Amino acid sequence: MTATEAVTATEKGAGNSDVRFRFDNLGLTLVLLALIVLFTLINPRFASFSNMINVLTQASTYIIVAIGMTFVITKGGIDLSVGAAMALSTCITFDLLDNGLHYIPALVVLFAVSIVLGTINGLVVTFLAVPALIATLGTMVTFRGIALLHSAGELYYGLPPELLWLGQGKIGVIPVPIIVAALFVLVAHWLFNLSTFGVHVRAVGGNMEAARLAGIRVNRITIATYCIMGIAVGLGGLLWMARIDGTQATLGTAMEIHVIAATIIGGTSLFGGRGTLYGTVLGGLLLTMLNNALVIAGVEFFWQLVAIGIIVISAVTINNIRENRIAWIADLRTRSGLTQLFENKKGRN
Amino acid sequence: MQTQSKPTVPAAVPGDVVGSDIIFEGRGLNKSYGGLHALRDVDLKMYRGEVLALVGDNGAGKSTLIKVISGALVPDSGSIRFDGTEVSFARPTDATAVGIETVHQNLGLVDELDVTQNVFLGRELTQSSLGFLPRLDKQEMRRQTVELLRNFSIAMPKLNDPVRKLSGGQRQIIAISRLLLAEPKLLIMDEPMAALGIDEGSKVLQLVAKLRETGIATLIISHNLEHVFGLADRVAVMKNGAMVGVKRTDETTREEIVSMITIGALHGRGAGHDGH
Repeated sequence: MTATEAVTATEKGAGNSDVRFRFDNLGLTLVLLALIVLFTLINPRFASFSNMINVLTQASTYIIVAIGMTFVITKGGIDLSVGAAMALSTCITFDLLDNGLHYIPALVVLFAVSIVLGTINGLVVTFLAVPALIATLGTMVTFRGIALLHSAGELYYGLPPELLWLGQGKIGVIPVPIIVAALFVLVAHWLFNLSTFGVHVRAVGGNMEAARLAGIRVNRITIATYCIMGIAVGLGGLLWMARIDGTQATLGTAMEIHVIAATIIGGTSLFGGRGTLYGTVLGGLLLTMLNNALVIAGVEFFWQLVAIGIIVISAVTINNIRENRIAWIADLRTRSGLTQLFENKKGRN
Repeated sequence: MQTQSKPTVPAAVPGDVVGSDIIFEGRGLNKSYGGLHALRDVDLKMYRGEVLALVGDNGAGKSTLIKVISGALVPDSGSIRFDGTEVSFARPTDATAVGIETVHQNLGLVDELDVTQNVFLGRELTQSSLGFLPRLDKQEMRRQTVELLRNFSIAMPKLNDPVRKLSGGQRQIIAISRLLLAEPKLLIMDEPMAALGIDEGSKVLQLVAKLRETGIATLIISHNLEHVFGLADRVAVMKNGAMVGVKRTDETTREEIVSMITIGALHGRGAGHDGH
């Protein structure tokens, strides 16, 4: 190839670098639409405007926390402590409100606590070099323990109207939580896809050593992702407690698995380096819809746990097959000549 | 590799290169790991725009030496002058700050990032949008990447592809090009042709030859004497942590270099340990 040819090839490839992810997410978008059709056929009530709004409102907390998780997982980390951190920060905030604190300083406390909890995770992972899975497993139990010590058996309720509005109010016909979540997604989009920070998060997750050699402050990026997770937990917790007007020390139990599931279904790689916010939003919507449909169908709650576990494992498996990470399947593929087919198909795109 | 008997690069231009300005000078460099003396009083000089090949058996100390030069290792003793001033490196960024860039054997690329993102990793260009929000200037970075790669007339696939999809030679060239953005004065390459096919290897050789024209000094570790003689102005031979000698490629033979590598003896006098 001559230089000119090379450049032509290059320019053909130009365009938005996120196109690849959107294309990857086409499948997920179709699955989502198919599920909507299916659920509607089973029960026409599902597709009603009010139920759709309901699904979106329910999804808002999950989507916000899952966006935070997307930063953390793309960085090559994970955070199991999100549900416990949410319980602890909302319990402390509610307690202060009950004792007469004005709602504005209470909000400051809410975010301060959730950001501190996130930062603790970041510090344990970086400065104590504890693997993220173990670090946040530890903080998950610790945060939950402190929440229970602080307010075991207590059921907080009765928010000031200004905060209730955040969970139950509407602007026009759109509930406030949906608008807050949408704004959060926009800000996250700027950070993740348009700023230097987003590239560095992917770089650290993809190849920490190369990132360090390129002069990126690896620890700083790591701690920042856990801080963002903290902000997401604070905001998600705020919407949640405002929507149900209450909280307790057991709030958000098993939230981590739902949030990790939404992130992974969306196409963010558990191995780090690759993440997509659009996918995470889709993943969050998909899980909430599934949840909603099962409730409408009267399926017992515990079946949802069964389903979500299987979904997480399947999502990672599908991704592994796509990336040829499973030795025996890769072997089968090579022997059957399917790899060739696969490559050719890719070449055409 | 029979194709290398007809080098694809211009033969070394002697005389006008050696003897010109000194860019790098290391004196009495020592480094021990526990009981292992990995570098013993090593002296090394490099001139602007020259290609110096560093050869020697496994364990001869080549990697330790380039780690010291690139700031990845702090020597136990010895001094380094770079571009006329005394320097000491505590970490790799100290070396890059004065103009020493290193292409590591594992290339230092992030597989999941695309070509442009890799080229600009750690020195991304930004613009401000809406008057206050800094955002990546993707267009400008892409333009500069195209320009950079066009300089080396290499065939480039889509810039938006993650680099894991690229061939070894393309990855190598991207790893080198990204360092050129920093306008280094000394470029260190650890076995740049080791994992490449003949064709791709020759692309990298061409690239190194082009670098020489721009006045960048290049230090290359290589096991391949064909490459060394086809490309380098001088050859430095190490054995057991010591510098056996430095020879101009037009004044030595393969046989002599091989015997220096294996026996550690210097035939004749004059080259090498001039700093002692």
